[in-house]
Amino acid sequence: MTVQADVRPLEAGESGWQPAPRYRILRELVRKKIAMTAIVLIAIFYLAGIFSPWVSTHDPNQQELTVEARYAGPSSDHWFGTDRAGRDLYSRVVYSARTTLLFTLVVILTGSVFLGLGLGLLAGYRGGWVDALIMRVGEVLSGIPTLLLIIAISAAFRTRITDLVFSLKENTFLGDDARAIVPFLIIVLASLPFAWFGSARIVRSQVLAIREQEYILAAETLGVSTVRLLARHVFPGILPIFLVGVSASMAGLAFIEVALSYLGLGVDPSTPSFGILLNEAGAVRTFQQFPHVLLFSGIPLILFFFSWNLLGDALVDIVEPRTYRR
Amino acid sequence: MGQGLAGYILRRLLWTVPVIFAISVLVFLLLRLGPLDPIESILGQRYTEEGAERLRAKYGYDRPIHIQYLKYVQNLFQGDLGVSTRHQNFTVAEVVIPKIRVSAGMNVMAMVLIFTLGVPVGVYAAFMRGTFIDPLVIGFWLLIDSIPVLISAVWAPWLFALKLGWVNLSYEGVLHPNIILPVMVMSLPGVAGVARLMRASIIQVETEDYVRTARAKGLRERTVVVSHVVRNALLPMVTVIGLALPGIFAGSLFVELLFGIPGIAREALDAVLAPDFDVVLGLVLFGSILFVLANILIDVAYGFIDPRIRITATRGG
Amino acid sequence: MSNRTLGLMMGAVALLIVAVAVVFVLVLAGGDGDDDDSAAPASEASDRDAAADSGTDDAGADATRDTSREDSRDDSRTASGICGENRLITFGDDPATVFDPIQVGDASTAEYTAEIFGGLVTLDLDLNVVPDIAERWEISEGGRVYTFFLRDDVVFHNGRRVTADDVKYSLERAADPANFSPTVLDYLGDIVGVRDKFNGSASEISGVQVVDEYTLRIELEQPISYFLQQLTYTVAYVVDREQIERDPDGWTRNPNGTGPFRVKVFRPLEEIVLIPNDRYHLGPPKLDEVVFSLSGGSLSTRFENDEIHVAVVPALELAGVLSGESPLSEYYLPVPQLAFSYLGFNVNEPPFDDPLVRQAFAHAINREAINEVLYFDAAIVADGILPPTLPGYSEAVTTYPYDPARAAELLAQSRYAAEMPRIILTFSGSGGDPPDTLQAYQQQWREALGVEVEIEAIEWSAYLRELRRGELQMYAAGWIADYPDPENFVGKLFASDSRLNHGGYSNAQVDALLAEAATLQDQEARYRLYHEAEQLIIDDAPVIPTFWFINHYLVRECVQNWVDPGTIVPKYRYVEIDTSGE
Repeated sequence: MTVQADVRPLEAGESGWQPAPRYRILRELVRKKIAMTAIVLIAIFYLAGIFSPWVSTHDPNQQELTVEARYAGPSSDHWFGTDRAGRDLYSRVVYSARTTLLFTLVVILTGSVFLGLGLGLLAGYRGGWVDALIMRVGEVLSGIPTLLLIIAISAAFRTRITDLVFSLKENTFLGDDARAIVPFLIIVLASLPFAWFGSARIVRSQVLAIREQEYILAAETLGVSTVRLLARHVFPGILPIFLVGVSASMAGLAFIEVALSYLGLGVDPSTPSFGILLNEAGAVRTFQQFPHVLLFSGIPLILFFFSWNLLGDALVDIVEPRTYRR
Repeated sequence: MGQGLAGYILRRLLWTVPVIFAISVLVFLLLRLGPLDPIESILGQRYTEEGAERLRAKYGYDRPIHIQYLKYVQNLFQGDLGVSTRHQNFTVAEVVIPKIRVSAGMNVMAMVLIFTLGVPVGVYAAFMRGTFIDPLVIGFWLLIDSIPVLISAVWAPWLFALKLGWVNLSYEGVLHPNIILPVMVMSLPGVAGVARLMRASIIQVETEDYVRTARAKGLRERTVVVSHVVRNALLPMVTVIGLALPGIFAGSLFVELLFGIPGIAREALDAVLAPDFDVVLGLVLFGSILFVLANILIDVAYGFIDPRIRITATRGG
Repeated sequence: MSNRTLGLMMGAVALLIVAVAVVFVLVLAGGDGDDDDSAAPASEASDRDAAADSGTDDAGADATRDTSREDSRDDSRTASGICGENRLITFGDDPATVFDPIQVGDASTAEYTAEIFGGLVTLDLDLNVVPDIAERWEISEGGRVYTFFLRDDVVFHNGRRVTADDVKYSLERAADPANFSPTVLDYLGDIVGVRDKFNGSASEISGVQVVDEYTLRIELEQPISYFLQQLTYTVAYVVDREQIERDPDGWTRNPNGTGPFRVKVFRPLEEIVLIPNDRYHLGPPKLDEVVFSLSGGSLSTRFENDEIHVAVVPALELAGVLSGESPLSEYYLPVPQLAFSYLGFNVNEPPFDDPLVRQAFAHAINREAINEVLYFDAAIVADGILPPTLPGYSEAVTTYPYDPARAAELLAQSRYAAEMPRIILTFSGSGGDPPDTLQAYQQQWREALGVEVEIEAIEWSAYLRELRRGELQMYAAGWIADYPDPENFVGKLFASDSRLNHGGYSNAQVDALLAEAATLQDQEARYRLYHEAEQLIIDDAPVIPTFWFINHYLVRECVQNWVDPGTIVPKYRYVEIDTSGE
């Protein structure tokens, strides 16, 4: 809800988009040292998230209720120190990375890729009132106070989820994870209505631009099927700019989960999350006395956001070297 | 510009009505059919069926839901946004307007700060491109952009109030120096965006014909840069101002929470959780209308700047 | 694009930016002006800056420098700082309702209302019932009839004299069904005729009679020994009929009460400023103003920065105040509250329908360790239900000490030794123990009993509903006294017919003791009955009392006579700021 100034700078103009040669982006990325650093950092973060049970050194929720173990500084046993209940901060950070990873992945796949790509293609191809409807709804959805509505939706569903949790636990492969997954799904569902529009808009304008290209017109007149047309000509054209959009929106997306969990409206309290970590560390006085708690739980998150921002910036330069505009 | 543009605006405005209507219905249903109950929050542990019934009747929550909605719309057209159940006897307007004023004040200041920092940074980076300074400057502001408010709202008061003793933290009104720290915390993350846009804009303008012509005419470099490049590069920034317009009235939740500022975002959070039906609905409607109007304004502004976009936009929707 | 359009656009943008910039500069300029008023902090800041530059980064040196800074700041600010005026700046919660005594249901609104209004009787700082509008009273017919003799010098803020008719009007207004008072039946429901009036079957309360201008007779359905305690609650406060009839919707914004303070400013979420009622009959307040800052933010930081006299420290921030060489520790003031937190069970649902399971759960938690680590030893482990500061507290009542071996033994004897059903512990944001503590219990149950308890967080209003319907198997809750009497704990929470008895607990012996105690006039004998009931309840373990609440305050030393009696008591008229600068 802050004044976010970097609004839709990433869309290509209507005029003259040339599909990039297949591996140009990759080559350019490798050449850029900053982008490589960002990719490495993101990879570390994600690997920590994927392999958190193996990478962590302790159970993230295991408390050690002794005065010595409380707020202990970094040591060989506790690499990032411990928090107020003597829990191992490093393991909590690693598991928080897993929460962030899961949340962003699920929302990107369902929201940006599935809904965004689908609705964007639909709007671009069908045009007319379908296009107008999708665009207007998206505009308004992205315009109303997003976080507010996400909170409203997730609050509305956070009532008695116990029965659902237990039926999932007993009838599916989820087992004990069901307790963590249901609140998680709630915030995913709450975020979805607001996650598709960015990419849908990019896809739509790309489709409009590409359709103007002569080879597409030619292919259409030649009677090439729509699916083939999409697969062979449209998708490759859309992909780079789509990636730019996703990487630019990543930090904001991950922040939704952090914000909700910080407010106590996000993931289950026994699921480590950066929101919960920051809430526990986030008192000025505590920071003054035990800076390691905020630093070690904050810096990984900052680096994660920073890496995505850097990568997004680098991708813009590569995909649209001359300019970016509406 | 005449006929086409007017028709275009008209069509967009016509689209706005059903969309906002749909959103109001959706939010209304979400609130009324959801499990959160304002009567429960008002009565707390003193809840009795009888007392709850009386309160439901008082606020009209006992009627069928479509009647409730029609009643709401009817009141809306008479300029009545309803009453707050969290602040009994206060109307929605009385609750919301002072808070919008606070948030608007802070956001305007934040925007000025963002632009006064972001534009020069972008210009500088653009003219330094090719050197290591360009990525360094942009990278620095991207780093600032990456620090969540949740974290800066902890270290900034610690550093500036406790360590250095430069500022006080109590909220004393929008026009009081104590507001400077929260405004800084709120705006610094936005600088990177403006700087990047400005940088890109400059780079584009540099390649335009009229700049080349100006250079070819042998104008002094300074004149070229100031009166041609920077001036024209500033134009797309209109978009940013326009897009930030609804944000001006949105407030920043965490800055308001952590610095104790009575802004609209905090009110909204409390209203959603209470829940305070009419306040939430009023805020959502207000926000959507503002946003839609701002969007149309931007498109129109762009139509003036670049007729090509107007035409394609007309075609597209 | 024409040059003219371009010029127009540019002009508009420039104008906008300039306009906004001017506002900003004005704000900044205003800031400079303000700084000049108190030049001391500014110059001090630069001194400190220099000190910081020359200092090392060593943490120890940092800390000592910190404290010396703190001192110098206090010195330079007492003359012009917050201790320079007889004006108390404290914190407060945003009132949940308007300042209408009969609408108040929450502690924060009650705190303001108690300062603005008054009733027949009030509480002193030691929680004794003392005269307010009533000078004295007589109790007759075995405790069923109360005759109140009113003072003749009590006036509303606007100077109008208070008579028995005003009291009667106020009580009838509270019971008026049109006014939807949520509390009237809880506190005044024992007066003859209140229920009839509330149900709309009577136009007056027959049990309240005006004998003469300054004498009022109140008749009860049956003798209630804590009736005077109930009368101290806001719903029985006296309001001004003339003002309400003149401005039925707006009067609560500047209510004309009889209390020690009047409302000067009320801005929701910003501040409430109260100013003294100089004609207050029990002695006018000593302060010039009380400012309640409602805006929140980090109170302890604002306290440390010398911006506020009194701050409350949430448990999460205790570490910053109580550990190491925190400069704040010397201002720290813990105040026990008339409240306790507990884990409640639904005693009709497996596995908690077996008392052995409940007792095993109680023995398995190590509250001393939680207190020491999570609360820095600043809480009190509840050794009973009634908190120690409550009149009628007994030390003799005992609960379940931490004994994992005994816990395992009890569980093995229970019906659920072989197979334990799933267990969910539900909590909501506020009220009971915080999530950290619940997770500690969870871990201790796992270790001592091998039982896996799942913790579930739900929204407050959903929590209340499920609680009322008795659908929570196990829940974390808290209870804060409405009035200082054991009945408010033992009776309200555990009587079979109380609607606040959410766990379905029912014990005929307890009910009999409660019924007997409710009508007994001998205070000591009553307390004994309550202790007996309390011990019976604890032995049945329908709840596990966990902690007695403590509020953690920071109070500047220039604030005199500031106390927190643990419940709603008009208290700011005693407070004074020592402006001498120490």
